[in-house]
Amino acid sequence: MLIQLKGGRVIDPVHKRDAKGDVFIEDGRIVAAPKVREPDEVYDVTGKIVMAGAIDMHSHIAGSNVTLGRQLMPELPVLAAEGGQPIEPSPAELGTFATGIRYAEMGYTTVIEPAMIPTHAIEAQIELASIPIIDVAGLVILGNDDYTLELLRGGRAKGDELKDYVAWTLHHSKAIGLKVINAGGSEAFKFNDRTFSLDDEVPAYGVTSRAIVEAMQKAVADLNVPHPPHVHCNNLGIAGNVDTAVATIEATQGLPIHFAHIQFYGYGNEGGKGFSSGAPTLMDAVNKHKNATVDVGQVMFGQTVTVSGDILRQFDGRRSASPKKWAINQGEGNGTGVVPYHYKSKSFVNAMQWAIGLEIFLMADDPWRVLFSTDHPNGALFVRYPEIIHLLMDKDERVRWLDDVPEASREFSNLAEISRELTYSEIAVITRGAPAKLMGLNDRGHLGAGAIGDVAVYTEQKNKTKMFAGADMVFKSGDLVVRKGKVVRVTYGRCYHVEPGFDPQIKRRVKSFYDRNYGVDPSWFGVSDAITNRRDRFATIPLSR
Amino acid sequence: MAKKKGEEAELDSALERAADLLGRARFPVIGGLFTDIAGAAAALVLAEKLGGAVDHAAGTGLSRASRVMRETGATPASFGEVRNRADTVVVIGKGPLERDPDLIASLFPAKLGLPRPGDNKREVIFLGLDKVRTPRHVRSSSIRGRATLPELVALLAANVRETRFDIRDKALRTKLDRAGERIRNSAFAVFVYDSAEIEEPVMHTVLETVRHLVLTTRAAIMTVAAPGNGDGVNLCSTWTCGLPVRTSFARDVPEHDAWAYETDRLLETGEADALVWIDALEGEGAKRPKGAPTVVLSSIPGRASKGDVVIEVASAAGDHDAALYLAPISGIGMVKAGKKNKDKPTVADVLTTIAELIDARNA
Repeated sequence: MLIQLKGGRVIDPVHKRDAKGDVFIEDGRIVAAPKVREPDEVYDVTGKIVMAGAIDMHSHIAGSNVTLGRQLMPELPVLAAEGGQPIEPSPAELGTFATGIRYAEMGYTTVIEPAMIPTHAIEAQIELASIPIIDVAGLVILGNDDYTLELLRGGRAKGDELKDYVAWTLHHSKAIGLKVINAGGSEAFKFNDRTFSLDDEVPAYGVTSRAIVEAMQKAVADLNVPHPPHVHCNNLGIAGNVDTAVATIEATQGLPIHFAHIQFYGYGNEGGKGFSSGAPTLMDAVNKHKNATVDVGQVMFGQTVTVSGDILRQFDGRRSASPKKWAINQGEGNGTGVVPYHYKSKSFVNAMQWAIGLEIFLMADDPWRVLFSTDHPNGALFVRYPEIIHLLMDKDERVRWLDDVPEASREFSNLAEISRELTYSEIAVITRGAPAKLMGLNDRGHLGAGAIGDVAVYTEQKNKTKMFAGADMVFKSGDLVVRKGKVVRVTYGRCYHVEPGFDPQIKRRVKSFYDRNYGVDPSWFGVSDAITNRRDRFATIPLSR
Repeated sequence: MAKKKGEEAELDSALERAADLLGRARFPVIGGLFTDIAGAAAALVLAEKLGGAVDHAAGTGLSRASRVMRETGATPASFGEVRNRADTVVVIGKGPLERDPDLIASLFPAKLGLPRPGDNKREVIFLGLDKVRTPRHVRSSSIRGRATLPELVALLAANVRETRFDIRDKALRTKLDRAGERIRNSAFAVFVYDSAEIEEPVMHTVLETVRHLVLTTRAAIMTVAAPGNGDGVNLCSTWTCGLPVRTSFARDVPEHDAWAYETDRLLETGEADALVWIDALEGEGAKRPKGAPTVVLSSIPGRASKGDVVIEVASAAGDHDAALYLAPISGIGMVKAGKKNKDKPTVADVLTTIAELIDARNA
């Protein structure tokens, strides 16, 4: 069936398109305008904005770590709703079903779960498969696991074994890329270290965080995995940590690397309160290093819960828990820390975090390398995205928010002096084109012929919060799934992953390692097609070359 | 294969009768839930459709642990971390070894390959039970006395915190002093318990002890897995609707209440007017309660009673591959079927079909 979206303002920065025009969808794909055929269905979208379906490249929506957060904070949606956040006051709102529904309503059609634990990949993939409408992919975590650390003992990688191990792990968990969280820091925590920086050595292994990240960069580059290592740096959330972030960026040696939720590393330590915006320093480094991409991890005021594989940081953060409860799960590799947190507009530090995130977006020379995220749920729940887009597109809206934060936060941040307003095209870059390119999902994030039929249509209005909260229409793989901001059809999407290939010997070695140390057969946690009854659930994406 | 009143009946007929029974029910409860993750997911969908409740046969312990988590959080360690890195393991009560008789052997292998913190010789302390046989390379001791298990936990907790207290039993005092000192000097002390055996205040005491210890060293808890894939079913309930088992879907938003939505109580009081009883795990069986018209999904239908709508289903991990909670990985893993039998439907197949039949009638 040929569908025509007629007469809208089509925003497609991948094809440098921002003009009134039509978009055609047939058999689940975008097609060129037919020369003779009449469309079977025509939707008049005059006066509306037409974009590709949005892609969230860093959102914790599934897995044992996320469900630990659900176990600790079932009241989160109720507290968030009471505080005015756009969410229903039901525990089910952060369940898997509602996750897909809410994303679709905002025009999102693909979401990346950024922290699958290798031994718990089956749970992550089952949870992802129970999320309706959206397509998904997962990043699998390495860098604090004993197999990696043994290979890097004393800073020496043994031949290609690390590369094979990374490839096997990607294959075994059906992941699209590799995540590295506070490399070596979680392992150091297991030896009772409470701080860990870039050049500190992991106890018993003698390898530094810097060496782990470098080895992973090389392995992923050698494997031609499209998405570079997705790195959560050391010293998250600490005043003065911008130096760590800049040092980590400068240590990348020109190889591709992605830094996650960089806002949490944009902190200087100047001023009477010892906390200032490090965004100018940070963005100077990001703008210079073309091999580096970042997602922002924007903070918004209100109740949330933080979920992270950085258990060293989360353990320290327990003192700020609100409500006063926390969970630290000490598992293989990274483990998980869950700490509830309430970002307050009247808190100097929280207001600084909010301002620094916006500064990072607005100081980016190249929006293709500075991507949209809140690190859901860590900086804010994903239902806050429309408010953030509003803040990025409307300086007057920023002024209104700045009036509500402490004067000191205005003084030690630079937000008030920034007049830049992002355009629709720039919003489409940071929420569509750039994440698709960065993940190697070349069939989406744009509206060119052959792209997947994921399209979001918004009714243009000055209030961007309202505009982006509920899409007028959303097509997922060509199916109309949302009308007037509400889901009208529930479908189920696919999971994308890479298969870079490996020396089969690695399977024997890993099996021996798990048998010897854990009494476990790796087949117990290997993801197979059998985790769902949908035959076409998994799809492999091409490698870089 | 399906049976009613002892006579052979076609599966389709049984499914129709099940849909009739459940479609008429005012407030059904889906209990037992000895099933795999796919079966649990289908049960949750059906319960939401019917406006009923879900519970698990091991729901008492699961609900206790869930409530403690909600109230104060938790500090668990994975089985693999405890096995490789704990220098002191405190086994609390008889429950852990009753649930897993091989627990000590699995936690204390003869040779460890991974580095661990500290250089203490590994030790196990049995609290509230006699010593059991331990490997030669592991030191062991037992703390028992006239005191009850909750009292022993409280005394040990006080001792770990070096809080002053008096007891007349000098032998017990000596043991407590030694254990307290050992735990304080441990590089990684882990407290193992069965949530079905100890009550919530005792769990809070243990968790507070861990929170005290982690101010200066490493410590954790480890709970033994519930029977019948209870942990897996509980996790599935949580990621689906945000709440653990013993949750009702009768109102606009799901509601969890460990007392109100317990299967036995719902049946005894007549609050539930229908039961779906699921008992389909290889090698395990759940004791079925009575008290309401019942749809039984069982891999061993001989366990059913006269008058039930009985549907024989495949056993998870016996007849079909199954995602289940596996204690050695402290998470959900895949278990290959011992002897695949494709003739029998799975729990997920049956519950999904019943839900579709009910939908068709309501259309």
